[in-house]
Amino acid sequence: MHPSVEAFALTAGLLALGAALVHRFGFPPLPIYLLTGLWVGGALPVEDLEPLPSLGLLLLLFSVGLEFGPDRLRSLSGKAVRAGFYDGLALPVGFFLGLMAGLDWRGAALLAGVIYVSSSAVIVKLIIDLRRAANPESEVVLGVSVLEDLVVLVLLALLGGQGLSGFLLSLFLATAYLASARLLGPGLVRFMESLSDELVLLLGAAFTTGTALLFQAAGASVGLGAFLAGTLAAALGLRERLERLFGPVRDLGVALFFLVVGAGARDLFQGLTPAVVVLALLGLLVKLPLNHLGGTRAGLSRKRGLYSALYLVPRGEFNLVLGALAQAQGYPLVAQVAVLLVLVSIPLGALLIRFAPDIGRWLYPKGQRAKPAQAKAP
Amino acid sequence: MKVEEVVLPGVGRKYTVTVGSGDRIVIVVHSSGKRELQYFEAREDEEPSAALDLTDEEARELGAILAGVLFHPEAVGDTQSKLGQKVIEWIRVLPGSQLAGRRVGELPLPQGAHLLAVDRPGAPLIPNPDPETVLEVGDTLVVAGTREAVEALKRSL
Repeated sequence: MHPSVEAFALTAGLLALGAALVHRFGFPPLPIYLLTGLWVGGALPVEDLEPLPSLGLLLLLFSVGLEFGPDRLRSLSGKAVRAGFYDGLALPVGFFLGLMAGLDWRGAALLAGVIYVSSSAVIVKLIIDLRRAANPESEVVLGVSVLEDLVVLVLLALLGGQGLSGFLLSLFLATAYLASARLLGPGLVRFMESLSDELVLLLGAAFTTGTALLFQAAGASVGLGAFLAGTLAAALGLRERLERLFGPVRDLGVALFFLVVGAGARDLFQGLTPAVVVLALLGLLVKLPLNHLGGTRAGLSRKRGLYSALYLVPRGEFNLVLGALAQAQGYPLVAQVAVLLVLVSIPLGALLIRFAPDIGRWLYPKGQRAKPAQAKAP
Repeated sequence: MKVEEVVLPGVGRKYTVTVGSGDRIVIVVHSSGKRELQYFEAREDEEPSAALDLTDEEARELGAILAGVLFHPEAVGDTQSKLGQKVIEWIRVLPGSQLAGRRVGELPLPQGAHLLAVDRPGAPLIPNPDPETVLEVGDTLVVAGTREAVEALKRSL
């Protein structure tokens, strides 16, 4: 038997145990995967798990592209755009922090992205698991996530390639994918509908991994490739089908991926410097007031605005993509901040979202409840 | 009534329904088929007074009841209407059916089943058809009686 089977059985069992434990207390399982990796990662043969964790990340980015692609922009409300504007102020702040930390403009831009982008995948999972989908703040938070993913898409296309030729190739590939999603998509919807589920599953898997490889060969970001593959698939009218077909495989891969991230973070803690910790903390803190302000500007009450700021705490998939990019381009500081942010923000964010109603009641007791702020254009 | 629709990326769609009294129902239709319902009283937009989760199947049945489609948990056929223990059934004469061309008098009506009417497309309803009426393809027979008798008739055709 291949050693991966043994490693797989062991980790899947551990993860199931962890998930079962937190389910009893009404917590979402995602942070537990990270913490399990952090805790027992040293004793587990995590390298043997490959390629499942790598596939997990690709499929995760693919489904983020499927759900949060640029075509969602059209259905965004003005509320979400207003909140997204204040959220976007984290970019210049992050850039400035990067320059202060002694990085050049490229490293500072990567750090800005790391601080700015929240994890749409983690937030969606938390919103569904904690039954918050019907709440008004969820609408704003998810809209903001669409904008964030779009900005990071541009950032990845701009910073992804090495040198001028890599930059141009990366930009060209991204534009080509977006253009074909727009131009070819509508014409092919009927054709795709006639294909069987089996064929769609296999084609989708080949397309996602193939695109990621193509982007890697071009010196661009693999994550960007997977995201754009998802965007293109959404334009082909395959959103619901692929979500249904890929869902279980992706969830399994993502669980293993987060475990591997947790296990990998053990080395990170050995090389931890105060600068990394300070930058990660500032990154967490800087977005809270911005998102609170953005939430109230989007017409939420102060309490709901606070919830929206708490919902946007978790960082995830794009932080790891940006972190890998920073590592490859020689900015280990940014890479460490990115991983530390993921590691801290997912468990913290899950707790904050879980107890958001209690925090809200404590900060804004009933009676002196503020009137919802008048929605004003920024 | 005012209905507002928003896409929730990654989750599904959210409908906010405001009725005449000012009360609101927020319905989230998840991509997975699950439905979440929240009920807000008028002038209260912070906390819902009630919340309800439905599976896809439950939501459809609730929807059918709300839409006024009569709900028959004991129904046997598709077009039956319930009259206590008696039922009414509509039976189409399909092309190739042994009924086409036969007289009403020759129908093998079991004890307890009665032919109330023949509905012929493009013609007035024939109530209480006389035994000499000849059935045609496309006719619909309206049969009433005990459930067993009507079922027996359907089986014999």
